[in-house]
Amino acid sequence: MKRYELIVIGAGPAGLSAAVEAANAGMSVAVFDENARPGGQLFKQIHKFFGSKEHQAKIRGFRIGQQLLKQAEESGVEVHLNSVVMGIFDLGEITVQHGDGVCHYKGDSILIATGACENMVPFDGWTLPGVMGAGAAQTMMNLHGVQPGSRVLMVGSGNVGLVVSFQLLQAGVEVAAVIDAAPQIGGYGVHAAKLARIGVPFYLSHTIVKAEGTDHVTGAVIAQVDESFRPIAGTEKHLDVDTVCIAVGLSPMSQLARMAGCEMTEKGGAVPVVDEYGQTSIPGLFVAGDVGGIEEASSAMIGGRIAGAAAARRSGYLPEEEFREKASALKASLGQLHEGMFSPKNKGRRDLTVTDEGYLLSKTLLHHGYLSEEEVAGFPGAAPGKSAGIHPVIECTQNIPCNPCQDACRFGCIRVGDHMTALPAVAENARCVGCGMCVASCPGQAIFLVNDEEEAGTATVTLPYEFLPVPEKGAKGVALGRDGRVVCPAEVVEAKTAGFMDGTVLLTMRVPLEMSMKARFFKTGEGTK
Amino acid sequence: MRIQKHPILDRIQKGRQVTFSLDGKPMQGYEGEPIAAALLAAGVRVHRYTTKARQPRGIFCAIGRCTDCVMVVDGKPNVRTCVTPLKEGMRVQTQVGISAKKESDDHETI
Amino acid sequence: MSRLLDRNREIGAFVPQQDDDLIICRCEEITKGEIRRAVHEGMWTLTEVKRFLRAGMGLCQGQTCGRLVKGIVAKELGVRPSELEDTTARCPTRPVEMQVFGNEVHGHE
Repeated sequence: MKRYELIVIGAGPAGLSAAVEAANAGMSVAVFDENARPGGQLFKQIHKFFGSKEHQAKIRGFRIGQQLLKQAEESGVEVHLNSVVMGIFDLGEITVQHGDGVCHYKGDSILIATGACENMVPFDGWTLPGVMGAGAAQTMMNLHGVQPGSRVLMVGSGNVGLVVSFQLLQAGVEVAAVIDAAPQIGGYGVHAAKLARIGVPFYLSHTIVKAEGTDHVTGAVIAQVDESFRPIAGTEKHLDVDTVCIAVGLSPMSQLARMAGCEMTEKGGAVPVVDEYGQTSIPGLFVAGDVGGIEEASSAMIGGRIAGAAAARRSGYLPEEEFREKASALKASLGQLHEGMFSPKNKGRRDLTVTDEGYLLSKTLLHHGYLSEEEVAGFPGAAPGKSAGIHPVIECTQNIPCNPCQDACRFGCIRVGDHMTALPAVAENARCVGCGMCVASCPGQAIFLVNDEEEAGTATVTLPYEFLPVPEKGAKGVALGRDGRVVCPAEVVEAKTAGFMDGTVLLTMRVPLEMSMKARFFKTGEGTK
Repeated sequence: MRIQKHPILDRIQKGRQVTFSLDGKPMQGYEGEPIAAALLAAGVRVHRYTTKARQPRGIFCAIGRCTDCVMVVDGKPNVRTCVTPLKEGMRVQTQVGISAKKESDDHETI
Repeated sequence: MSRLLDRNREIGAFVPQQDDDLIICRCEEITKGEIRRAVHEGMWTLTEVKRFLRAGMGLCQGQTCGRLVKGIVAKELGVRPSELEDTTARCPTRPVEMQVFGNEVHGHE
């Protein structure tokens, strides 16, 4: 049986990050993954990540995955794909099924980074073909290039539901609605806003009652729910869909940790009890990533590095002092991601009413997915009085750890400050040149450039556009407001992009002057759905 | 339907086009992609009918964990089509219970 | 004695509900009603429910229904899901054919 100094189970962001960290310290590392491709869920994420530069902000998930893989290769990490770790036994032994046979391996340290699996919500008709996990839709679209269906009902408004809904639109699939039994949208307001401005409706306090069809989904029935989440008779609505995606949360896949005999605790599912570096109650057995508690890819990568460093220290590759310094820096970085409105300590809270700065949180954003015009004007990213000439309007109204907009502007027009959860503000004497870097850099697609052309009675609005076909210069159509309704006729002035924008197109449209703070999306033609 | 052009993703590398059969009918797909992807692209959503209630099932998790997408492939039942790569000439059959669907599917014995 | 171990504790009678014919264990086609009824027939642990009904013993080995079954059994017993002991996690973690399971490959690729 082959022996490694570190065996990593799972080649997702946590596992690969740990492997690279350990290998760079000098350890012999092998990673086993049951899938044909490495990267876990990372390769399915086509949106730009949040956080700060050190967290790979504004880089698309799958590119981060590609980088990680390259690092793993360069560090000499052995990545074994199509390899199912079937069991974990005493003294660091695992059995792996690969192809037609089973092989035993031994690790001085083992890291379980097996991630999470999707939660389920059963309903009448949920076993029909066409009902699938949101992750399944992502896999089919982003890994295999096949549309999961033609018109989707998304059940669940957490970040997964919101992000996958947008990805469905990008793949040319219609999204009939996003529903959630909770009274407010669970994920980031900016993710919801991207959908709302295209016209995707949100039904909060609604649940799916039935998926209709004999051999596959042909429609769905949703209904409003009461405080006990029970459907209210008479509120049923029928939706014409052929696909229902379920995005109601994730649970850690901790079977291997239980099999090994780790002391377990409850954290959104059974997770091992760990010390501050990810070591379980079994010396030499570590966990990192979602399997230790659901967060997201950015935290998983840092958690993986901490565990990898801890394994290296355990095997004597990292002196104590160096390890503590490294771990401390990584934990500080991780701590930054744990702040803000959606931080782990705020999980499930629905009583937040103001931002850290004291601005009133938008209720329409939480309940419908869009800000009202009045609300936008009240935030530091869009305050009126700074609107001489072209200027950015930043519609970012919740405290989330994210600051690429600050670095994007060469002229210092945008300020977030030292705490990246702070709301971005447009500087008093902003000298905006209209380059659009901020528009392209915002992972939430929440920044617009507005230029009031007083004399002509028109205004131009530049927005981030990530769909095909890209409207051409001169294209006539309509502008949609934040709620997805047509607000006025519009004409495309310019559609430009550059390599470093990685697919985001800066679309500039001309609208009547009074629409400059209303128009937020462009549709060619008359915009009828 | 297959996504021809994507606003963000580069064109997904596929193997060569191959022919396989579904319940005897010739179908097209790309070598190496999951059987389920080729079927979904062709508009096929029903992979099997369950043992007890003969209910239709298809893709559910798409990553080889839920086992709802299993079909009889080259004579072997319970093959997870979402993680099994397509090969030229593969014989894919709709699974009923744990056997292949027959022409006259009245009383299937398990 | 822990609430769960005291089998004399009253949990009430089985009351039929509207969604009793909802499939919970997709692999074995076991309904919510069957699971709830099993609790009232004396199956008070997840392991007992699993062996009695085969819920969680199908091809996916409970990967999909595990959390749901836990919630249903807990509700029927009047306890929190986290109070129930999970079924034992054993090798193999994924379904594997016997001929593969028994085919030990020595050495490494």
